[in-house]
Amino acid sequence: MTRVNVSGLTKVFGGGEQEVVAVDDVNFEVEDGEFIVLVGPSGCGKTTTLRMIGGLETPSEGSIEFDGTRVNDVKARNRDVAMVFQDFALYPHMTVESNLGFGLRREENDLSAEAMTERIREAAEMLEIEDLLDKRPAELSGGQKQRVALGRAIVREPRVFLLDEPLANLDANLRKTMRTEIDALQTEVGITSLYVTHNQEEAMTMADRIAILDGGELQQIGAPEVVFNEPANTFVATFIGSPNINLFDGTLEASESGYQFENAAFSMEFPTGDLPENTGGQDSQIGARPQDLRPLHGDETADVSISGTVDLIEPLGTDAIVRIQTGEGPVTAMIDGYERLDHGDELKLGIEREEIYLFDAAGDLLKPRHYEAAADEVAA
Amino acid sequence: MATDTSETPAEFRRNESWLFDSRVGNLLRQGGLVITGLLIGIFLLFPLYWMIVTALKTTAEIQQIPPTVFPVDPSITGFVTVIESSLQTAGIDTFFENLLGVEISSAIDINVLGNIYNSLFVAVGAGIIAVLFGSVAAYILSQRDFWGKNGIMAVLLASLMFPGTAIMVPEWELFSTLGLYNSKLGIILLYGAMTAPFVVWLMKGFFDDFPTSIIDAAKIDQCTPFETFRYVLVPMARNSLIASFIFAFLLAWNELVFALTLLNQENFTVPPGLLTFVQGFNTQWNVVAAASIIISIPVLIGLAYIQRYFVQGLTGGAVKG
Repeated sequence: MTRVNVSGLTKVFGGGEQEVVAVDDVNFEVEDGEFIVLVGPSGCGKTTTLRMIGGLETPSEGSIEFDGTRVNDVKARNRDVAMVFQDFALYPHMTVESNLGFGLRREENDLSAEAMTERIREAAEMLEIEDLLDKRPAELSGGQKQRVALGRAIVREPRVFLLDEPLANLDANLRKTMRTEIDALQTEVGITSLYVTHNQEEAMTMADRIAILDGGELQQIGAPEVVFNEPANTFVATFIGSPNINLFDGTLEASESGYQFENAAFSMEFPTGDLPENTGGQDSQIGARPQDLRPLHGDETADVSISGTVDLIEPLGTDAIVRIQTGEGPVTAMIDGYERLDHGDELKLGIEREEIYLFDAAGDLLKPRHYEAAADEVAA
Repeated sequence: MATDTSETPAEFRRNESWLFDSRVGNLLRQGGLVITGLLIGIFLLFPLYWMIVTALKTTAEIQQIPPTVFPVDPSITGFVTVIESSLQTAGIDTFFENLLGVEISSAIDINVLGNIYNSLFVAVGAGIIAVLFGSVAAYILSQRDFWGKNGIMAVLLASLMFPGTAIMVPEWELFSTLGLYNSKLGIILLYGAMTAPFVVWLMKGFFDDFPTSIIDAAKIDQCTPFETFRYVLVPMARNSLIASFIFAFLLAWNELVFALTLLNQENFTVPPGLLTFVQGFNTQWNVVAAASIIISIPVLIGLAYIQRYFVQGLTGGAVKG
């Protein structure tokens, strides 16, 4: 049971001309028993951050603390962390049983041989791999290997559990099942966990809190509904949520009753209370989630509307991702009743003001999407 | 490829040449390949064949001109002489005379079996030294970054290119100063040192390609670098280690010049031992050939046993699903 504190964490690879800043001044805290997901595009520094917490990389600057004790100079083998790797990294020459027990038998503990065997059996039971204990990794399927890798990590009951894209090598169906299982397992054992993925859907479904990284910098950390509804900037807004958010460029000017957003296709009024003060007179962007856009038929109206020609329909069963071409570029919406639509049709999409995001010239959030915060997760 | 039983239909013909498109052409092409293969095979295997045939001939038949391709009157005198002379030289002929009720007397006093024993001892020793030191060095050279690393690799490579005989005189001085002349330990150390650089290069290649996540996993599983090496790398590197061992073993088994210079007759390994059979006009070639066959047997058995490790993919399925 461990609280992990990361402050000013920086990692620079190479030197001179080839210097690459992989992680740049990252700060966050992981509560005891919390499940944090680090998410971001390739090369955003999420894996490097995880490896530094595990002790596999040495930070260039900053500190990592476990329960207030600085562990920067503590070797990986003494940190009592467990890690699940993307390629599973099972020991091919050992049986599943030996793979599970390897770390347990190496570490200094006062467990008897029987107690260790018992622990291994319990972990195997929890992961439903008791039947595989005598097999070697080469004989296992991807999902089974994944379970063994998870088992190897939990059997030691480590202080911190690190998972580096553990589902990336599995097929889509298995990924969904294992996602649920890992989440349930983590809740059950209650070990502080950090999980790295590039898949925002995985992050949204599993995390207690999501940390979004880009270019080595931490963009935002917060509960899934917070990063979805109150993204710190346009990067987070675009990265979280699928399909991607629609962003429209325009200008924001002060008006009598508040602020006026304006571009070639539409204009929109924001009352004073909605936005911070003195935000007028700058370029800005508004964002609309595809899920919030709805088709407007006949004389239906909305706070903002935009029309265009349908040029893409991706049916998903009950609803479909529909793209229309407008004067402001392509707009994506997720709507039902797509059966009536055809390529080349005119479609008008509308959205209400409270569902709109507004960003300033630098891309930082001015107005979040309105949402009901979960009772126990206010202001994470 | 299945043999074509009919002409390729015109629309599937992609090759311009009739050699690929007609049945006659295919036969001609494949026949040509088979004949070339056979010729190369004969070229490679004839010396071995000649050694076996010579061993089974009598001295008189060996000196016949033109030589016979098959032994007209096969005899195993060569083998008998080798074994008898070994037992006699080793001083255990009386024991076997009593045991088997035969009389052992040989005109040659060369202990081939003793040579084989010496060679095995020396070659196994050299193999162990080369694999032990070579693989540890390779692991460090592969996993750690330090100043002069490339220099060390270059020196090791250069030492492999250097003809051993060029340092014969200083080597002899060294051996005589250290009192290692005519000792098996000395020659083991020498052979170990001669082959270790090769082992370093071979094993470094293996460790460089080793999936780093498995090493990371071992670190996370609380292994010290030595434990990682001992419990994870060595078992996974088994095939490469065996290959290294074979290389060192074969070099020590075949080496002639140093063994001839630095050892006395009682400690001779097989190559200088064989050389003593060649005695000008008196050379009994059937005995030499028989001795050659006998000394090949341990190597052949060893290689046959070890071959399966090259086939086995130990790392298969370790990484990726």
